[in-house]
Amino acid sequence: MNVRILKDRTAKGLMLTMTVVAILMVVAIAIGLYLKSRPVLESQSLSSLLFGSQWKPLKGQFGFLPFLMGTVWVTLLAIAFALPISLLTAIFITEYARPMVKRFVFPVLDILAALPSVIYGVWGILVVVPWISKHVAPHFVDFSTGYTVLAAGIVLGIMVLPLLVSLFIEVFSSVPAELREASLSLGATQWQTALRVVVRRSLSGILASSVLAVSRAMGETIAVLMVCGCVVGMPHGLLDACYPIPALIANNYGEMLSIPLYESALMFAALILFVVVLIFNLLSRIVLYRIEKQNE
Amino acid sequence: MIEVKKLNVHIGDNHILKDIDLLFPERSITCIIGPSGCGKSTLLRTLNRLIDSTEGVRIDGQVLVDGEDIIDSQSDITELRRRIGLVSQRPCPLPMSIYDNVAYGCRINRMFKKRRELVLHVRQCLRAVGLMDEIKGRMHAPASRLSIGQQQRLCLARSLAVHPDYILADEATSALDPISSKTVEDLFVSLKDKYSIIMVTHTLRQALRIADNVVFMYLGEIIETGPASQVFNNPQNELTQKYLSGAFS
Repeated sequence: MNVRILKDRTAKGLMLTMTVVAILMVVAIAIGLYLKSRPVLESQSLSSLLFGSQWKPLKGQFGFLPFLMGTVWVTLLAIAFALPISLLTAIFITEYARPMVKRFVFPVLDILAALPSVIYGVWGILVVVPWISKHVAPHFVDFSTGYTVLAAGIVLGIMVLPLLVSLFIEVFSSVPAELREASLSLGATQWQTALRVVVRRSLSGILASSVLAVSRAMGETIAVLMVCGCVVGMPHGLLDACYPIPALIANNYGEMLSIPLYESALMFAALILFVVVLIFNLLSRIVLYRIEKQNE
Repeated sequence: MIEVKKLNVHIGDNHILKDIDLLFPERSITCIIGPSGCGKSTLLRTLNRLIDSTEGVRIDGQVLVDGEDIIDSQSDITELRRRIGLVSQRPCPLPMSIYDNVAYGCRINRMFKKRRELVLHVRQCLRAVGLMDEIKGRMHAPASRLSIGQQQRLCLARSLAVHPDYILADEATSALDPISSKTVEDLFVSLKDKYSIIMVTHTLRQALRIADNVVFMYLGEIIETGPASQVFNNPQNELTQKYLSGAFS
């Protein structure tokens, strides 16, 4: 056989194998997590695991609702915080800023996105936590350490900000210049054009980027763990401490494994995170597909 | 009337338009012809200041639209652009329905207080470009589902909807099939009683068919201008003669 064709086939086979391995990894992780969580799943019903709020490992009671709610609160807050800021920033950079500004902003965004999350965590402890404790909390509650849902939301929001901004810039830049010109030539202002044409045309991209940011935010561990307070209990407001799932796993895995079922419970926590992110991505795919079909 | 006086446009170090002096007569079709890269489109984009978005652009001179200098930084650009419609080379419907495409400019310029009036106006504009019958009942379907030729007519309807005085067309038929191209061309001819149309075209035949006046440009300069019959039948400049005879394109 011709050597060139042989090389071609080998390369193809190799790449196929790698692709399959990458996909199988995900499946293997899911299966692994499930197998490890089986003991706790057998000891308690699924609904009591998911919706129970009693966390007493020594008594064998594992209710994950406080942790789930912690994750949801912190993630939602982070996105609510980051989304408007990043949208406006990206609109400014793509629609208004001079090329000079763009050349300056891109590297800064890259640096921000590449900063290790522990640095954000330290910054949160040094700046955000004391600020909340001294200036925000006194208006609402008698005392707060500052280690709260709010602190975690802000730190996480700032962490996903550069990611969102650079994704949005990419999305907005892909809108053809002719569309903007069509709108401008009808007497629209730049703001009207940005909002009614650029953002509208980019809806699917905005959604896809937000999903990516939410998935990233849900799984973020270190920075959140450092400022969220890590107190087991249902958060009832922004000034309560919380304990998101990734923080629970990172804090306890390897520490408290002498307690029966504890390891299995932590694996189940990981499985919950895995499934939530998976469902979230699937749902967003469906919405994206709908939007794209509408725009066709 | 649009009058251009001593217009010079630089983009970076390139001198794109050189000392342009021109008068675009009202209620007629003026075709700007010339080989690629001669500055036709730049001239057109200067007339509605879309050129502003080009990086490193510098404009000197005057463009008087009904006596008002639009190059002057004090002028109201959005109002100017409303008065000067644009039909670009490739049809680009906005990412919304057929109806909303036409209604877009009216809404932005707050032209109507009642929805009913807007609906009637949109229908009228679609009728003016011959789309109304073709899209019956599909007014709220996405504009991108129309054929390319229909999309270009929609873009024209969208421009007409904001009551412009002038229409700029940048090779508006070059992306269309021959039949759609003819339809759009006929539309322009039918519209010249109401609007002043300035059209950049690459096709000499088209200019020959529809132009009342012709401007011939070469390397950023106006070489010859005048009534179409004069420029085509009796060109004064040697370059014009060569261009018309097909010596270069």
